[in-house]
Amino acid sequence: MPLLEIEDLHVSFKTIDGVVRAVEGVSLSLDARKTLGVVGESGSGKSVTAQTIIGLTRFPNATITGRVMFDGRDLVSMDADHLRAIRGARIAMIFQDPLSSLHPFFKVGHQIVEAIRTHEDVPRDIAKRRTIEALRSVGIPSPEERFDSYPHEMSGGMRQRAMIAMALALRPDILIADEPTTALDVTVQAQVLELIQALRDDFGTAVMLITHDLGVVAEMCDDVAVMYAGRVLEQAPREVLFDEPQHPYTWGLLQSIPRLDAPRTDRLSPIAGSPPSLINPPHGCKFNPRCPYTPPEALETEPPLAPAEPGHLVRCHLPVEERRRLWQSLRQEHPALR
Amino acid sequence: MKRRIAVLGLAAAALAFVAAGCGGGGSSSGVQGSSHTLTKGKKGGTITILSEGDIDHLDPGAAYYQFTYAITYVTQRPLLAYKPDSIQPTPDLAASMPTVSNGGKTVTVHIQHGIKFSPPVNREVTSADVKYAIERGFDAAVGNGYASAYFGVIQGAPTKIGNSVPNISGIATPDKYTIVFHLSKASGIFVAALQEPLTAPVPKDYAAKYDKGKSSSYGDHEVATGPYMVQNNAAGKITGYSPGKQIVLVRNPNWNPKTSWRPAYADKIVFKEGFDPTVATKQILSGQGDANGDFPPPAAQLKSITSNSSEKGQLEFTPTPGSRFVALNTQKAPFNNKYVRMAVAFILDRNAMRLTRGGPIDGKIATHFISPDFGKSGFDQAGGFGFDPFKTANNDSGDVGKAEAMLKKAGFKSGKYNGPQITQVADNTSPGSNTAAVVANSLQKIGFNVKTIPVQHSAMYTRFCGVPKNAPNICPNVGWISDFHEPQADLDANFNGKNILPANNVNWSQFNDPKINALMTKAETEINSEKRWQEWGQIDKLITSSAAAIPWIWENSPTLYSTRVTHGTELWNGGEPDVSFMSVK
Amino acid sequence: MGAYIVRRVLWAILLLLVVSFITFVIFDVFPSADPAAIRAGRNATPALVHQIRINLGLNKPFYTQFWIYLKGLVEHFNLGYSYYNSESVKSEIFSRLPATISLTIGGFIVWMLIGIPVGVVSAIRPRSIFDRVLMGGSLVAISAPVYFLGLVSLFLFAKGTGQLQWFGAAGSYVPISQNVGQWFNSLILPWVTLAAAFAAFYARMTRGNLIETMNEDYIRTARAKGLREAKVISKHGLRAALTPIVTMAGMDIGLLLGGAILTEIVFNVPGVGRYAYNAITNSDLPAIQGTVLFGAFFIVFANLVVDILYAFLDPRVTYG
Repeated sequence: MPLLEIEDLHVSFKTIDGVVRAVEGVSLSLDARKTLGVVGESGSGKSVTAQTIIGLTRFPNATITGRVMFDGRDLVSMDADHLRAIRGARIAMIFQDPLSSLHPFFKVGHQIVEAIRTHEDVPRDIAKRRTIEALRSVGIPSPEERFDSYPHEMSGGMRQRAMIAMALALRPDILIADEPTTALDVTVQAQVLELIQALRDDFGTAVMLITHDLGVVAEMCDDVAVMYAGRVLEQAPREVLFDEPQHPYTWGLLQSIPRLDAPRTDRLSPIAGSPPSLINPPHGCKFNPRCPYTPPEALETEPPLAPAEPGHLVRCHLPVEERRRLWQSLRQEHPALR
Repeated sequence: MKRRIAVLGLAAAALAFVAAGCGGGGSSSGVQGSSHTLTKGKKGGTITILSEGDIDHLDPGAAYYQFTYAITYVTQRPLLAYKPDSIQPTPDLAASMPTVSNGGKTVTVHIQHGIKFSPPVNREVTSADVKYAIERGFDAAVGNGYASAYFGVIQGAPTKIGNSVPNISGIATPDKYTIVFHLSKASGIFVAALQEPLTAPVPKDYAAKYDKGKSSSYGDHEVATGPYMVQNNAAGKITGYSPGKQIVLVRNPNWNPKTSWRPAYADKIVFKEGFDPTVATKQILSGQGDANGDFPPPAAQLKSITSNSSEKGQLEFTPTPGSRFVALNTQKAPFNNKYVRMAVAFILDRNAMRLTRGGPIDGKIATHFISPDFGKSGFDQAGGFGFDPFKTANNDSGDVGKAEAMLKKAGFKSGKYNGPQITQVADNTSPGSNTAAVVANSLQKIGFNVKTIPVQHSAMYTRFCGVPKNAPNICPNVGWISDFHEPQADLDANFNGKNILPANNVNWSQFNDPKINALMTKAETEINSEKRWQEWGQIDKLITSSAAAIPWIWENSPTLYSTRVTHGTELWNGGEPDVSFMSVK
Repeated sequence: MGAYIVRRVLWAILLLLVVSFITFVIFDVFPSADPAAIRAGRNATPALVHQIRINLGLNKPFYTQFWIYLKGLVEHFNLGYSYYNSESVKSEIFSRLPATISLTIGGFIVWMLIGIPVGVVSAIRPRSIFDRVLMGGSLVAISAPVYFLGLVSLFLFAKGTGQLQWFGAAGSYVPISQNVGQWFNSLILPWVTLAAAFAAFYARMTRGNLIETMNEDYIRTARAKGLREAKVISKHGLRAALTPIVTMAGMDIGLLLGGAILTEIVFNVPGVGRYAYNAITNSDLPAIQGTVLFGAFFIVFANLVVDILYAFLDPRVTYG
């Protein structure tokens, strides 16, 4: 049984401009000790999905339906107090920008102590000792001194390590990492990802990694879901997704990965067009305005998320054989995709 | 209600006191409302007077402001003073009215025996103390505003003012109780001027040390002769005066009631300063204060009080001695032409001007300068209410036809003025600014294009209208309150050609008519009062007819009392409350 | 920090110099009344006006007058003497400071106690009925003229003049050293009146700042930690939202210590503001100069205090 099971999740927000349908029928599952990558452009609903798991989108203007099953209980319908006991303690989350995600007026150590003492009734000095250990375990040098640092006194990488320390100080079952490396520079990115991997391995924490970067997914995920316009378009184990992707959007994403081994002359090919409006999404397949292959029925009806093979789900009107053929020819044209 | 203020307008709100009066019909003085009554009271208690601003100076030698006089006259005893219900002076420090001899050039006054200064001086007052008091009025360190005007006629009075007390040879003290003034010429108003606070005795032996230097500090150490004294300490330092906050009067232990006609009922009088007029009016009605000191109740409240039968009796109205007028610069075209001035007199909508100050509640439309409260001492002689040389229909609201006839006489064939633009310097705040707007509108009807320069009221006087080289064609917001009820005090400074000064000038019309100058010079020396008032009455008519300035309102001042006190309105002092006649019921 | 403070103090002194100089220039250039003529009185002879002009030093060019003033100020901390009644400006201002300080500090406490909670309550439920009523009310309080508000409060709640005779009347102020009870009672209405507009303004500021802060990433982090919402708001939200408000409060206190003119006038609180008002109506330059200088001093001083305070409140700010 999966550790976390998202079933047909819908999240929408009433705004002055209209109803924003941020998540439309997403179902995902995460197993213990595994890493699930959720990929998509900004506005694809991946962050909203992640935040909804722990109830961070329960705004007065939000409508949330579906289920998020964790430990046999539905987090969507759970009352705020019970959910809060899970949040931070059993499901922790880290965010994109570690500078803005840490409170600028409080010392880093204090912010971690606060997290511990929120869930465990431990004396201040013990919480402090655990905080220092947590800081040490994420590789922060001289953690005793860093305990008293303010966020602005630390580098970006150190701050993200501190965030991870805060998230892991309570040994959660699940770590949701929402674009954890986007704001960091490349060398630091790698270190942070390694850290997350190491912690997963050491503590057995399941990781849900939200990212727009397939390169990151390639390095550490077991399963991958590709999201677009609040929907999952393709979902598969990592190897399958990278070797035999079947959705034109996934192809586009793969083409846009900067590859260190690719020839310099080979330009990045980002997907033409821009993400759709979530208030007035296009008719039919939501990707059809940007899809180079659009079959006629894609303008009329939205395709279902259907299995192409066992464990490989694709939301596309093109026949499976056609998709395979197109992918092979794409690979021929673009050596980078090999 | 204020002497200095009427002219200089130190405080905007203070000015308003003259502004809102009530009345407009009825009695010969033109005043409506409850009549002035004095009732017998009983000893004891505290009376509280509320005011918006402060007094000007405690020092009797420097005090020159009606509100200050409400304190000065109950703490100091000038040679003469007024009972509250009279406009004629009565002996106070003096034992009897002065005797005038030598064709008016010698004035002899005997002072009462046994009047003592308050602690710490404690000794008996002598004639030398009066002599010193007047002499120090000519010391710039004291800074008296009227010494030269009324006492400059004494032989030996200095014309150059320095920072020391001069010896004036014309003031003789043949014995401890006699003071003789030798005048360089007869003066019709000298005796009346002996009621000014400058004649209140000042002990030289005590005061001289405070009078040294550039600014006398005698006011902070003054001793009293009246029934009350400003609270002080054993050394004589005043402790009862916090400028802008309050003034506490207590009984003067050395005052002998047998020497005085003041009943002095209350034990203590507190002048509380710094009130907003609306709030203070309400506090008087509720009995937290007993009378208004330096402000008139605002017009809206006045109207509500006069229409409330239970409150009406708490209000008394007192005519202001003098008038507001529009001064025309007679030294400059076009108003150097008498007919152009007369055209202005005919066209000015005096009724609309009065409306800018509250309408009939503020007073009667003035038709000449000497105000009704002068009664037989000048007003009647000037023709009373019957004299209105520029009368027009609808309550003097102006007449284009009559004005155009005058302009035609002046050479404007069309009957419309077509000369260059003219200028007026006016108040930058209401109601003065509104009055000026009415003047400009009226003049426009006969072709004038009036440019209005708005400035602060006191700047209007001290920088423009009072400085002939800066004077505009029209000063629409000037006025004069007479220091006492002698027509000379009302007309001489404003219209005698000899009084045109390069600065601090109050002859705002710069009126210099040789014939009228001669008549005034003669009247100044007339010591027979009947003749003198007759002469000044004629002078008033002549000045009014010349249209050098156009008077437009004789104002009334309202005095409001709480129900816990008896009244004591000073008829002679613009309706200030006489606290020595008021009593707690 | 020490060097910074020294530098700031030097700047403050320079600023005060410039302010007094400008006051002198304004008085000299613009058509204000002639103080010598006012002091002498309307019936005075030119000789007297002339001598008084000399005595007041008004015959000298204004830069000489300014120099004399500065010398007196620097050497003896002498602010000169009123043209109107010859009283020492310094002692007049000092004697009025306790009233102004009482009014300001009390008013400050009232407006913070009302403004901050109202702002927080509104921010927690933006656009709710509650929020709309509170913010609508605050708009009324901001727009209501102090003078009008003062009169209404006196006619409703003051002893003597009020419908309900609860609190001290206008002019009932006594120094705290004289009678604490009466001091307090006399200041209740002035405090509330003074505080009304400020409370409303601070409520709106608090609301705006808090709503903005509650959208910050670190608030999301705090929630993700599992903190109670009340603690998220009171600790993480307010800590950031109130910092700019504390500094603004410092400035407002500085401004008011220079004199809360309208409140002092309507309630007859004998403070610096009323003194300033009288000085202006009397064209009393030394008194105007003194109050301007005092007002400027408090503003400059409050500025300095606020800047230093900011370094303690916001660890990101440092002064070198």
